[in-house]
Amino acid sequence: MSNPFGDFDDDGEILEGFICPICREDLKSLEFLISHFERLHPEEDDLKTTFREIFSKAKKKIKSNFEETFDLSRNNASISSRGSSTASNAIAKETSNARSRMNCFNFMDYQEVGKEQQHMEYFQSMRNPRLERYASETNKLIIRLHKLLKDMPIDAVLRKQHEQNIVPWLDGSSVKLCPNCAKSFNITRRKHHCRLCGSIMCHDCSKFLSIEVALELASLTMAHSESLKSENDKTASTNPQQNALRTCDHCLWLLETRQEMHESRTSRPPIIQIYNDIQQLRKNVKPDIEMYLKIINSLYDGESIFTLNDASALRGKIGQVAEAIDILSKRILAIPCEPGTREESLKKSVRLSCIQLIKENMLALPVLPKEDEIRQIQERKRMETEMRIATERRQAMEAYEKYGLEAAASGHSLRTDDYAQGMDLHSIDNWTAHQIRNDDLVQSDDPLVEQINIIKGYIKQARQDLNFEVVETLEINLRELQKEFYERQRSLSRTANTPNGDNSPPSQEAGATIYK
Amino acid sequence: MNVITSIKLYIEKMCSESGPGMKTMLLDKETTSIISMAFAQSDMLQREVFLFERIDSGRSNERMKYLKCIVFIRPTKQNVQLLAQELRSPKYGSYFLYFSNIIPRTDIKFLAECDESESVREVKELYADYLAVNPNLFSLNIPTCMQRLNWLPDALTRSVHGVVSVLLSLKLNPVIRYRSGSTVAQTLAKQIFEQITKESSLFDFRTHENGAAPPLLLILDRRDDPVTPLLHQWTYQAMVHELLSIRNNRVDLSGIQGIPKDYKELVLSGDQDEFYGKNMYANFGEIGSTIKGLMEEFQRKAKDQKKVESIADMKNFIETYPQFKKMSGTVQKHLCIMGELSSLTTKRNLFEVSELEQEIACRAEHSQQLQRIKKIIGDERTSINDVIKLVALYALRYERHANCDTSGLLQMIKSRGGQTHIIPSLIEYAGTHMRQGELFNLVRIAGAIKLTRNFIIGLKGVENVFTQHTPLLKETLEEVFKGRELDSMYPAINSELVPFRRPPQEVVVFMVGGATYEEALAVHQLNNAGYRVILGGTYIHNSTSFIDEVLAATENMQFKHTKSMLRHYASSDNY
Repeated sequence: MSNPFGDFDDDGEILEGFICPICREDLKSLEFLISHFERLHPEEDDLKTTFREIFSKAKKKIKSNFEETFDLSRNNASISSRGSSTASNAIAKETSNARSRMNCFNFMDYQEVGKEQQHMEYFQSMRNPRLERYASETNKLIIRLHKLLKDMPIDAVLRKQHEQNIVPWLDGSSVKLCPNCAKSFNITRRKHHCRLCGSIMCHDCSKFLSIEVALELASLTMAHSESLKSENDKTASTNPQQNALRTCDHCLWLLETRQEMHESRTSRPPIIQIYNDIQQLRKNVKPDIEMYLKIINSLYDGESIFTLNDASALRGKIGQVAEAIDILSKRILAIPCEPGTREESLKKSVRLSCIQLIKENMLALPVLPKEDEIRQIQERKRMETEMRIATERRQAMEAYEKYGLEAAASGHSLRTDDYAQGMDLHSIDNWTAHQIRNDDLVQSDDPLVEQINIIKGYIKQARQDLNFEVVETLEINLRELQKEFYERQRSLSRTANTPNGDNSPPSQEAGATIYK
Repeated sequence: MNVITSIKLYIEKMCSESGPGMKTMLLDKETTSIISMAFAQSDMLQREVFLFERIDSGRSNERMKYLKCIVFIRPTKQNVQLLAQELRSPKYGSYFLYFSNIIPRTDIKFLAECDESESVREVKELYADYLAVNPNLFSLNIPTCMQRLNWLPDALTRSVHGVVSVLLSLKLNPVIRYRSGSTVAQTLAKQIFEQITKESSLFDFRTHENGAAPPLLLILDRRDDPVTPLLHQWTYQAMVHELLSIRNNRVDLSGIQGIPKDYKELVLSGDQDEFYGKNMYANFGEIGSTIKGLMEEFQRKAKDQKKVESIADMKNFIETYPQFKKMSGTVQKHLCIMGELSSLTTKRNLFEVSELEQEIACRAEHSQQLQRIKKIIGDERTSINDVIKLVALYALRYERHANCDTSGLLQMIKSRGGQTHIIPSLIEYAGTHMRQGELFNLVRIAGAIKLTRNFIIGLKGVENVFTQHTPLLKETLEEVFKGRELDSMYPAINSELVPFRRPPQEVVVFMVGGATYEEALAVHQLNNAGYRVILGGTYIHNSTSFIDEVLAATENMQFKHTKSMLRHYASSDNY
């Protein structure tokens, strides 16, 4: 690929140190660099002045840094990157394209959800009166329906009487036209009555509600539908009109809407049940995954709260859940349905989301560290801690040395005290380590030790149950107790060894780090 | 201020408010794009949205009462009608209605009366009514917004809605300024102001308690800077858009030979594709080396994958496979795009063309540039479209120059068989008579270039001849943040909010006539410098779509400023 922007392969790396911009030699210190520059590159006069400028700027900056740390010799502040690019930055302050390589998409400062406006209240206030009217109408119809169906005579004449008893029929003498289709009534187009509201219509505009459906509807409100059904089973005949109730359009629509609402609220097809199972599993496994990640991090950090066994046990558990989800989602896919329908694509989507979940959240978990790896990490961690303590101690000593003169004047020797402190800590460390091995047996009269032992028992139990959150809190508790225990032991021993050990500032910190 | 986050938060709100359970989403054409630019389908699956359906096309009658339905539509008359139909015979168990903008109460009443089976559970306005392209860039997806140099009525309404929803989603109640002298900017500013006044309760954010200056909505006109959309781009996102064109974060490669089947249509979303997110503003050269690094890493990993000898290796393989797969997808995708970009660059002689474009945009050397243009027109490798753009730049640049030879150049284009009517249209659209401000500010640019030029010699790739040009917008915004006096060039419509001489903390810029990715980069740089700017436009233009817009805006009108180019007019109707 031809590249007009220069070849990045050879100068892509960023050099650090006091580097000559022309021959790229690392000259270790500012003095060397300047003399080198004056000796070997005298021709680039203008560049030289710029470099002087830059370095005087850099010097200022470094100096201020030094003042903060008051340690000139050890500060290894460096002038970064290729000398030449520093020069260009200092002079041409033009911002370059895409200088910051930060992914602007991951840069998410907190943002709250934007404005919203609620309309549900208004919507309800508009919807409810209408719905209430329908609801009361429907309820009335259902009560009538129930009355009609109860003790319904088989004989046609008696049945008509029964029906009219319950729902008064509209007087048809003044009605000349069917109110629904506006055709006139005559010999062939006779008047009919809705059995539910008593209104008049022609035969063509009549609807029929089958007795079976009617029974179902009525049973929504009444419990003893069984007896009714058995009675009516005998009466079932082949004539659809006999086996159904003549109703008007409006009444039938009201009843059907009610029926449908009821069905949609209660229907639970198998897909829903399986799906809910999956969601349940998903919800349950989520804390496990979080815990696993936490354990892994803690292991890689060289902490000893959790063991490798904990992690692998938890991993196994997560794996099992993944398998269960996989099986369930396959079962959803296996539910029969017509090809090409939306139901089919729904099932595929559900399956896809499960596969995705398993792949991304459950199988792609970070790998467990090896046993010896952990040991190495812990070893390194220990070394680091020791180093830190050592440097802290040295820094403290240096500080003492600096202020030593003043301190000496006051006639109080901090230094010896500090040494004594170190010795002291050391001895305590040895001694308590021995203590902990025995305290299961011997020191059980101390309530603190007793507490420690109880907690250890709990931890063991929680481990077995894979309840790692509890393990974590208990381990932390245990540590605190142990620390408390050590502190007490030490203060005991200190009061025995050094009676005036109150003024010892760094001991607190050093003491805390030892037990980690 | 991040527009992508705003949209995401709204969508997440919809998903969480509808509670647990399987969901389907009922969308219209525009909300489909809005959602698809914020979330991948897989993200929606994880939010339990398994089906998507368009309210305005080809719906099946299948009833699925066990599903919840999230309705997210723009509150247009047509959509309300369609939704009413749906509610009269509901196919789903329950409905959660979200409108992407302010909906009239009468429409809510109408819908309430249709909901006879009581299946609506929620009715809300959530103002996600714009396409969030980058965190700092939004578009309203109106390819052409003008007709005879004035607003198309639909485009105006849509723009008012879009900008209002941006303000609401970011909770801003701004000072509105518009480019003086531009009727389109002024009309839009007025209507937005009217809308804000009408819905004052919505805009009551109480943000000025700490005494900070109120945010600023700056409505600009594309015609102030017709140069930016004409230039070739060399930063990744802009370059892909210029050469391959990005539509709703998607690049269509199906017309190109030798592209693998899975890569016919590529999604470029900085949110889902980390590589793209990191490199969208990097220049072509940088990406070349980055992608090389990515390749090497990939090959190393691929090698590791191959040696599966023990059970442990196998286990390791299974565990790292998903990441591996993902990585291979990313590498392949960007290799495809980069391969195509670089082959186009060579084929169309773009280095030479682009260098000259930048020179014309930034430096005044008439006779020398004229010679070079003529030379390039004569070069068979340059495509006719690139030639037209060069001449367009020349015509804009030297419109008032004594020796301006646009006609001669047009003659040359004609002899190569190119369309010449573009140039007079462009001058009518955005010639000197339309522009305000110093588009070609010689002193400033020449000085800056002298400096950069000198340093380019010693430095490879930092700044270069192909990216000399900075869009006018950057300068405008710098003025704004310096607290300069704006009233003469950008009068405020609601001046009672204007603070005395204090620069705003937040700025939303809306460009009538479309923004560009180069300007998005400028805004990105300002944001990196600690300012808070969001850029939006009726469209995100590349040179092709910009020229289309110019042609549409000047169609069927009488040309006044280009009499000398009379014989190059599109048709005799203009005359």
